Amino acid sequence: MALDFKASVMWESVPLLLGGVHLTIIITLGGLAIGFLVGTATGLAKTARGKLPRTLADIYVEAIRGTPLIVQVMFLYFGLPLAIGMRIPPVTAGIVAIAVNSGAYIAEIVRGAVESIDVGQTEAGRSIGLTRMQTMLHVVWPQAFRRMIPPLGNQFIISLKDTSLLVVIGVGELTRQGQEIIAVNFRAFEVWLTVAVMYLVMTLSIARVLRVYERRLNARFGR
Amino acid sequence: MSVEYGKSILLHGRLVFLANEQKSYFGNNPWKGDDTMKTCESPMITVRNLHKRFGQNEVLRGIDLTVCPGEVVVIIGPSGSGKSTALRCINRLEEITSGKVVVDGHDLYDPATDINYVRTEAGMVFQQFNLFPHMSVLDNVTLGPIRVRRTSRAEANRLGLALLEKVGLADKATAYPDQLSGGQKQRVAIARSLAMQPKVLLFDEPTSALDPELVGEVLEVMRALALEGMTMVIVTHEMGFAREVADRVIFIDQGRIQEEGPPDEFFGAPKNPRLREFLSRVHHA
Repeated sequence: MALDFKASVMWESVPLLLGGVHLTIIITLGGLAIGFLVGTATGLAKTARGKLPRTLADIYVEAIRGTPLIVQVMFLYFGLPLAIGMRIPPVTAGIVAIAVNSGAYIAEIVRGAVESIDVGQTEAGRSIGLTRMQTMLHVVWPQAFRRMIPPLGNQFIISLKDTSLLVVIGVGELTRQGQEIIAVNFRAFEVWLTVAVMYLVMTLSIARVLRVYERRLNARFGR
Repeated sequence: MSVEYGKSILLHGRLVFLANEQKSYFGNNPWKGDDTMKTCESPMITVRNLHKRFGQNEVLRGIDLTVCPGEVVVIIGPSGSGKSTALRCINRLEEITSGKVVVDGHDLYDPATDINYVRTEAGMVFQQFNLFPHMSVLDNVTLGPIRVRRTSRAEANRLGLALLEKVGLADKATAYPDQLSGGQKQRVAIARSLAMQPKVLLFDEPTSALDPELVGEVLEVMRALALEGMTMVIVTHEMGFAREVADRVIFIDQGRIQEEGPPDEFFGAPKNPRLREFLSRVHHA
């Protein structure tokens, strides 16, 4: 049976899909904001002197990186409420899942960037009497942060696509919206194509902004 | 090297008056090397029986060193001898395995000692400069005073510009480190250390990473500092500089001090055979 392609379906589904995009963006931004804080704390913990922070950080990162996101999402939404006896709204669960997941990967990004800064920088900072914290804050972090931008931008794109997995817990993000439209008009080809294009528009925009930001940052440091 | 009261020198076109009370510790009696330990009433640096091991490798095997206020001590030695490690033990950039290190009366390994404070008294200048690339030259110099001494930005800038002037780089205050030549970078690094008004300056092969034609401008700044009475401990390969500026030269080889003495004796009539061999291998002025 040949497909009769109806382009009009694509335009017609856009408004509904945009409702999904709205949620996709909120969950991505919210999740990443928290994930960045968690990831930075964890990444710095991995470079700490004490054994305890390092071990805790390692456990967290390995557990998250070693398990599929979809399992983490379902554990958070279906499993955890049974244990703690409290229901979590789907969107909240989605944001937390993205936060916890991206946090682990961001931890490695932060750790890598901080460790890549030449040890002479730290030595020079300490030699003028700066404490470890001051050296990190004024000398190491500003340089490390600049190196983190490309991999962080990459994580942004990854987490944005990861939100599509939240369809399994019923969050009304973009993928779910697509599913609901197809449930009514059965036009799977056109609708999924449109959904894919919308994801592409978002990820390409992020990539574009990233390139511009990187270029400006490099220009300022005269490199 | 004795200095008279009230002497002045011309430095970068400006008259620099030498600190009045900084007379050479020796007065008229040059220190005699050998086994006699250098003594002075309140030494700036005291190192006793310093041992440092990296894993199985014992790099320093019992270093004893005293540096008096106003002294310029130069340490030379073959690569791998432990001379840089010894220097880095003085401001605790390296942790000692055993021994005692006292800087300006502070025992570095006493738990009550604030190591950050001690480091403001003992500044270090590195072979690789280690300037902060994300900050301007002036900000590099003022970071210490602002963050550690809590000096106001205006006051710190004033101090910073004066120091940059002193090393001949006031016009580069707003430039960034990667716009400078190696010699300029090192001079900024010296200004950065001086901004903390240290009691002693430690130099770890300050000119080794410089192109030959840039070495002179850095040595000139160091010479001026020495003339002003700054206590300095310098690890270097610049024998000519050592001969001219040092009060005492020390030869470290295989983790031990093999010989020390005033430059004339040290270079003119070296006693230790390994030192003689080392000097003959190094072309010096």
